[in-house]
Parts: sequence; C-alpha cells; structure tokens
Amino acid sequence: MTLTDTPTGEPSAEQQLRRRRTRWSLRRRILATFAAGAIFMAVLLAVTTYGLASSNVVQQRDQSSIDTTKRNAQIVQTSLRGPAATAQPAIDALASFGVDSALVWYANEWQMSGTQYEPSALPQLLVDRVIEDAVPARMVTEVAGTPHIVVGWPIANGGAFFEFFSLQEVNSALSSVRLSLYIAGGLTLTLSVIAGAFAARRAVRPVVDAALAAKQIAGGRLDTRLDPENDPDLGVLAESFNDMAAALEQRLERDARFASDVSHELRSPLMTLEASIEVMESRRSEMPERARAAVDLLRSDITRFRTLVEDLLEISRFDAGVVRLNLDELRALQFVEQAISVSSAPDTLLVSEGRVSSLTIQGDRRRLARVITNLIDNARVHGDSEAKISLEIPTHAGQAEQLLHIVVEDQGPGVPPEERHLVFERFARGAAAGRRSSADGSGLGLALVAEHIRLHNGRVWVEDRRDGKQGARFVIELPAEQVEDE
Amino acid sequence: MHALRPNYGTIQDVGTRILSVEDDERIRQAVKLALEDEGWTVDEAESGEDAIEIFQRQPADVVLIDIMLPGIDGFELCRTIRRLSDVPVVMVTARNDTHDIVAGLEAGADDYLTKPFAPKELSARIRALLRRTRPSSTPHARITLGDLEIIPDEGKVARGGEEVDLTKTEFRLLCELADNPGKVFSRESLLDKVWGYDYFGDGRLVDVHIRRLRTKVEVDPANPRHVVTVRGLGYRLQT
Repeated sequence: MTLTDTPTGEPSAEQQLRRRRTRWSLRRRILATFAAGAIFMAVLLAVTTYGLASSNVVQQRDQSSIDTTKRNAQIVQTSLRGPAATAQPAIDALASFGVDSALVWYANEWQMSGTQYEPSALPQLLVDRVIEDAVPARMVTEVAGTPHIVVGWPIANGGAFFEFFSLQEVNSALSSVRLSLYIAGGLTLTLSVIAGAFAARRAVRPVVDAALAAKQIAGGRLDTRLDPENDPDLGVLAESFNDMAAALEQRLERDARFASDVSHELRSPLMTLEASIEVMESRRSEMPERARAAVDLLRSDITRFRTLVEDLLEISRFDAGVVRLNLDELRALQFVEQAISVSSAPDTLLVSEGRVSSLTIQGDRRRLARVITNLIDNARVHGDSEAKISLEIPTHAGQAEQLLHIVVEDQGPGVPPEERHLVFERFARGAAAGRRSSADGSGLGLALVAEHIRLHNGRVWVEDRRDGKQGARFVIELPAEQVEDE
Repeated sequence: MHALRPNYGTIQDVGTRILSVEDDERIRQAVKLALEDEGWTVDEAESGEDAIEIFQRQPADVVLIDIMLPGIDGFELCRTIRRLSDVPVVMVTARNDTHDIVAGLEAGADDYLTKPFAPKELSARIRALLRRTRPSSTPHARITLGDLEIIPDEGKVARGGEEVDLTKTEFRLLCELADNPGKVFSRESLLDKVWGYDYFGDGRLVDVHIRRLRTKVEVDPANPRHVVTVRGLGYRLQT
C-alpha cells in the first residue's frame, strides 16, 4: 500500500498514525509472522538435531577409537614382550590384524604400521603427554586436511602406541544430516509460507468481501449485503457492515422519496394553476393591458414551475434507481427529426452525413426526445442562440462498434474547460449564474441529459466548436447499428 | 409530455357531457372552468360513490377519473363504470409510473394523462376518443375472419355467431386492424389512428388494449389466433 504525502507541511498526526499502521498490509503481516515462526522453529530444530547428532556420533567414534587403541596397544604390548629389541614384531602383529594406521614409539624410534601416517603428523602435545607422562590420551587433529582422532597409549619400556582414526566418515555422515536438515528446513519454510498465505487469505477474505460490497454500494447497488459469518469475530464485521448498508439504503431511499413526494404534492396546486391560467388566457383579449402582461408572466412561470417539478420528479426517480427504459429500435435520422419537431424550436437546423440514414439506435423514444429538447433549450438559454444539430459518424481507427454522435452547437460564449464537467451537475449555472432570463430552465436539464444518456450506455460531453467559431458543442455518443436498406 | 395534434376550430357536438371525478375541490373547479371554455358540459363528482350515482342518473359521454380517490379508488370506479357502459374513460395519474398507468388501462381506461396537464390537451384527447367509430377508409360493410365477424357500420363484433361486447376504443382498434387484414400495423401507426397521438405516444396504450381485446375475441387469449403480435414490428389481424 502506498501513501502520498500532503504536498504542504508536515504530515498530520492522523496521517502518521495511518502510515505506521498501513506500512504493512494485514495479509503481509500474517504471512511474515508465519514465515518468521517457521524460520525460528526450523533453525531451532535443526541446531538441536545437528548438535545432538554430531555429539552422539563423535562420542561413539571417540569411544570406539579409545577401545580399539586400547586393544591394539595390548597386542603391541604382547608382541613386544620379551622384550624385543625393535618394534618390528609389533608391526607384524598389527599388520596381521589389519591395523594400518598406527605408529609405535619403541626403543627411541618410530615404526609405522602402514604408510598413511607419518610421525610428524602427531601433535607434539599428545606425544609429550603419552611418552613423557606415560598417560593414555586422545586428541583431535588434522591430517592432510581431514580431521582425525589420534589416541596414544603408553606401553612398556617407555614406548607408546598411537593410532589414527579418520573422522572423514563421521564428517560425511554429519554433512548428510546437515543436508537433510537444510531440506527439511526449506520444506518447513515453504509449507509454512503456503499455509501462511492461505491463512492470510482466509483472514483477509471477509475484509475483501466487505471492500467489494462497499464498492458495489458506492456503484449504486444499495441492496448489497455481506453473508453473515459463523465466526463470532467476523460476524460482528458482517453484521455491522450490513446494518450500515441498510441504514444507508434507507436514508437514500428516504431522500429520494422525499424529493419525489414533494414533487407529487406540488402537482395538485400546479394542476389548479394550469387549468386556471388557461381560462384566463382564453380571455386575454378582453383584458386591460396591465392584466395581460401579468397573465403572460404568470403563464411563463407556471410553465417553468411545471418543468421544474417534472424534472425534479424525473431525477428523483433516477436517484431511487427505478427508471426503466422502454427500448425501441429507432431510425436515427427520422427519430431526431421527429424529436426536433416536438421541441420548443421545431425549425432547428439539422444536418447529417449521408450514411446516417441507415443507422438505428436502441433507445427510449420519450427520454431521447427529452434529451434533444433539453439541449436545444440549453442552447437557447445559455448559448444565446438557435441550436444547430448535426448527426455524425465518428471515425476513430480501431473502433469496433458503430457509434453515432448527435451534436448540438450554439453560438454562445461556450463553456470554459474548467467548467465542462460541472455543467452536467444539478443546478449548475456556470459563469453566467445570476443572469436568468424568463426562459431559464429548471437547472436540471443537463443533469437529466447526462442521466438519460448514461442509461442508454452512451456518453455526453461538451467541447469547443470545431469550426473555430465561438460557441459550445455538446456531443451525445450512442451505440448504433448499421442496417441494410430494404 | 404528449405532443398533440390539436384540431382546434373543428366542429364538435354541443352538449357532450364529461363526468369529472376528482376529490380536490380547487382542481375540480379549475378543470370544470377550463373544460367549459372548450365547449363541453361538465358534471362533477368528488368521490367514486358519488360518481356512480351521478353516472346512473345522467350517463356521460366521457368520464375523467383521478386515480387517487378517497373511498373506492379510481381503478375500482373504472371497473364499475366499465360494467355499466362502454363510455370512453380517461385516467388522471399523479405519477408517470408504469405500474399505475398499466393498472389504470387494465381496469378499462381508454387513455391517461399525468397531472398536471393542460386542459387543452385533455380536450384534444377527448376529441380523439369521440371520433367516429368507423375508420373512414373502410370500404367493407362486413368483415369475416374465421369465427370472427365485424360489422363496422353497426359497431358490432361477433365470435361464433355470438355478439362480443367491446368498448368503443377496442372496437376502433379492431376495425383499424381489420381495415387491412394481414398487414402489420406498428404501435405508432395505431397510436396515431386510434388515439390521435403522434410519434411520441405511449406504446403501453396499444399493448394493454390489444391484451384486453384478445380476452374478448380470442378463444385462448394466451395463444391468439386473430390478433397476432409481430415481434419487433407491431400487430396484425390473422387472415
């Protein structure tokens, strides 16, 4: 997990806290704990096992060396009884017993049984101890690079018998033990990492589930809930998450219902206003001029009021998520022509590429007509001009699906880049805020355009006019289909 | 938001009676004023019970029913009036919900409007509903399709020799289809011909009326043999 610092000043206390807490993810911490535990156990076991094994083996070897030396020393002793002048009889006796790693000090000279070990290989300390002090002794030394046990045994007449025992086999036995321990350790570590990863995933899974559910809720699926867990620890998480989601859903529903209820309640007085103003309008010619002006004002604001109520109701239905499209296959060109003809400006100019005539779109007639009406009204109110509508087929390389652009252009001041994402917000009135004409819209027109188009799997945005002239260019992008003309 | 095609200036029957059922007194008064301006005679009722009593005493040519009524609601009132008469009924809904609209149409309403509507728009709807029942272009005096027999001039339909009771709107819908048996009529063209709506009319009007028509003229409404759906295009009358 990465953390970004605040660009200015010291990170806050909360940030520092969070940094400390989130440097390692939970999953990684569980894994690390498992791995550390496994390493510790493996090392402990290995060291103990190795220590025990090696001391055991060496001890055995030691004991058997001493026993062998003692036995062979007796043989030498026996063969030199007489006493012999030289150690030769002893060497012969040893040879007959197959002892080839011994040295005999006798009559002030060294005799070798076998050719492997020179007297020079004997450590002086041992020689001194055995020959001078006439005490049996043993010592570990290195001969030609390999460790040996050398055991010395004093014999009669100031002689001494030395025998070498290679520890080569012990060493190789121990090294194979070492190898086994390495392998076992590695296996333990691997298994524990796997177990750790599994455990970490198990432990983190409810968190991941919760994160996914939260994402779904944020995406608008308010009825998302977590499965209740059997584990009491995790059950608390699931339960409180579900409580939160339910509260949120309830709250949002209440808000949406409130907006919808308000609009409903406004319908009845509006109905009276609408019918009454009609009665007054039909007598407009009989009225004095001042009354006529007042009736006209009343009429235009009743219309505006009605639009506002209808738009509010519509948008509250979007918020409640109850909007369902009534899809039809529509001929793009014919449809847009019809939509313009029922809009507030039926003589709006429409231009289209030739190929557009064979395009169809899947759309909800009423809603898409509303989108076009709203854009025409927007051009009139905010663009200070008549709209011009063009149907275009975008040409992007590598575009697999067929698209249709319905473009509405005006000659107003345009929309500055920093406000382009704001114009589709509710009640956004741009830089011209405060300057409201009597024909002003509800402030929800473009927000409704965005909602309708989103529901049609399309996109809508605003940009500069392509022909270099001043004005805004609203583009609706809808998936379309090319049909063969009959 | 119905775009309409008003026929202002056309001659209309004097004394066409409209029964307006609405519990909100101010709305009732304002609508009455506006409709009287349009030349209709308006009777008022403030509840469903009231409306039934008035209707039995003085049958209206068109009934306007607000769905939200105290006592028996608009749907029930509509069903009751349907049992008494085939008079055109216009429902007034407070919301543009599919549920309310379809329920109103299923209860027997011929058309609907959503509050707030312009009384001029209501007049246009009423005019469309009261148009002559026989399509002007029908050259046939009698159309026979299997066990179904239609006599446009007399406004009669018989299935297997037995007369079927259709509302005026259902009858006009059937006549439009019978005008050219076998031809596919789109929802838009039926909306235009029967209800006087343009391109942006509500297809649900057609669908619900077709459903109701089937329950009357078909032996098995689930497997229609006369009024057939042509997927993605519309409806036609099977020859």
